[in-house]
Amino acid sequence: MNALLSRSWIRALIGLIAPGLFLIWWQMQAQAGGAHALAFAPLQSVGAAFVELAVRGSLFPDMASTLSRSLSGLAIGGTLGIALGVAMAIWRPLDRVLNPLLQAIRQVPLMGWLPLLGLWVGTGQGTELIVVSLSAFFPTLLNSFEGVAGVERRFVEVGQIYGFTPLQRFRLILLPAAMPLILTGLTQGLAFAWIASIASEILLGVGGGLGVTMQLAQMQQRIDIILVAILVTAALGFTINRLFLRLRQHLLRWQAPLR
Amino acid sequence: MIHEVLARPAPAGAPAASGALAIRDLHKSFTIGGAPRTVLEGINLDIRPGEFVSIVGASGCGKSTLLRLIVGLDDDYRGEIRLDGERVSTTSLDRGIVFQDHRLFPWMTLEQNIELALLNTDVPKARRAQIVAEHIALVNLTGFEKAYPHQLSGGMAQRAAIARALVTEPKLLLLDEPLGALDALTRVRVQNELQRIWMTQRSTMLMVTHDVEEALYLGDRVVVMAPDPGRIRRIVEVDLPHPRDRAAPLLHRLKDEILAELTAAPSAPSNLVHLPGREVR
Ligand SMILES: Nc1ncnc2c1ncn2[C@@H]1O[C@H](COP(=O)(O)OP(=O)(O)OP(=O)(O)O)[C@@H](O)[C@H]1O
Ligand SMILES: [Mg+2]
Repeated sequence: MNALLSRSWIRALIGLIAPGLFLIWWQMQAQAGGAHALAFAPLQSVGAAFVELAVRGSLFPDMASTLSRSLSGLAIGGTLGIALGVAMAIWRPLDRVLNPLLQAIRQVPLMGWLPLLGLWVGTGQGTELIVVSLSAFFPTLLNSFEGVAGVERRFVEVGQIYGFTPLQRFRLILLPAAMPLILTGLTQGLAFAWIASIASEILLGVGGGLGVTMQLAQMQQRIDIILVAILVTAALGFTINRLFLRLRQHLLRWQAPLR
Repeated sequence: MIHEVLARPAPAGAPAASGALAIRDLHKSFTIGGAPRTVLEGINLDIRPGEFVSIVGASGCGKSTLLRLIVGLDDDYRGEIRLDGERVSTTSLDRGIVFQDHRLFPWMTLEQNIELALLNTDVPKARRAQIVAEHIALVNLTGFEKAYPHQLSGGMAQRAAIARALVTEPKLLLLDEPLGALDALTRVRVQNELQRIWMTQRSTMLMVTHDVEEALYLGDRVVVMAPDPGRIRRIVEVDLPHPRDRAAPLLHRLKDEILAELTAAPSAPSNLVHLPGREVR
């Protein structure tokens, strides 16, 4: 059984069982007729909508917009989050000054910032990017802080023995020791950035993107297009998450494998 | 050659060679659960330059604590620790240590772990790779240069840690149970290696061990510590030239006596047990 599970294509196949069952259930609902059918577009019409969107529609530009919005948000929010988290962990007075404020800000759900940001920067792409960056910022900040604050003393002492400068201590001990948590923060940041991109696109409807298309389709009552957008969002999100995990594994190749 | 190595350190009053350690009335306490707890009390110890001193004592009697103080990782103590006349208050490249746990950085390869010890030395960059390779060979780890610590066995990691401490050629090298994780065979080999390195480098070495035989085989003197609070119970001089013969009758006799000392009832007055061999204290 274990030998069977270790074959990668078999594992992929097993992973497809649940989505497959879901699609079968979906198709049954769509064909059941009545009030139901409106909410469950049959799979063939979803397929047709996909082709329509891909060939003549905005599918690829949408994917590109949402992707670039998420990744730029991750880059901005992630960079600031790592920088501030690391700085707060190394220099505790900064933590004491900023911690209460940051914790309070974090209690406001992301979308709660939209009205305020709307007044400040308008309801354009700038606001979308700010929301996405903010959503990537907090998980990276918290994890980077924990990562650096939790570096074991015994490693820092080795640096002391060999006369490390503060920079060497940072580069050769603190940063690599914190790297697993920093990457966890970035992975969470990516997931949040992705969600925030779609959500802010739906709410603001500007600048193109899968969320914008979803919102338009909803106004035009195109269930099939909404479904295509959802499926593409899921597949794309899944893929970049996977790529990110690969990158993580490579960067942390020094860790003993968990299994 | 041998005679040169065996030459006893200069008597007091002669110009100080490097690596002389002097510990005076050392007292150390920790706060555990809100209450102060004395861990080391009235430690007095003089180590001559180039001497090899072993420390044995029950678990928890403060051996690692003593080494941490000497190496300069903790300056919260009463009394004095001086290396070549200078009071120890912080770490220095003059003093090296092999920790009880190997403390290799998991994120660096074996090679990188050893090379980092040379970062702030004046060893020219061009020579570093070669020195690292030599020391890896010395502890028999050639072929594992690119291995990460999690890919090494406990004993291999311990040997790597020894190599890391040796590359800087410190005047004073502290070893905290450095061979604890080794099998009997490797242990004997590394002991011989350590003895050879000590004889060629002529640095001062202070080694904690639980193995009385090892303490006697390597040490010019063996410090026997007593627990609660940690103090020196006795110092046994091992008056045999290096390199030594493991089968020397004196080593065996001293071993039995130190073992008797270590297992004696804690309350027994220490002067009841009389040790032959040359006693200093
Ligand atoms: N950082 C610390 N804080 C509080 N107590 C400590 C600390 N480090 C050591 N101790 C106490 O000091 C005592 C001596 O510890 P130490 O590690 O020096 O013992 P040891 O002789 O090296 O023992 P072992 O042979 O088991 O390694 C112990 O009772 C321990 O509880
Ligand atoms: Mg110890």
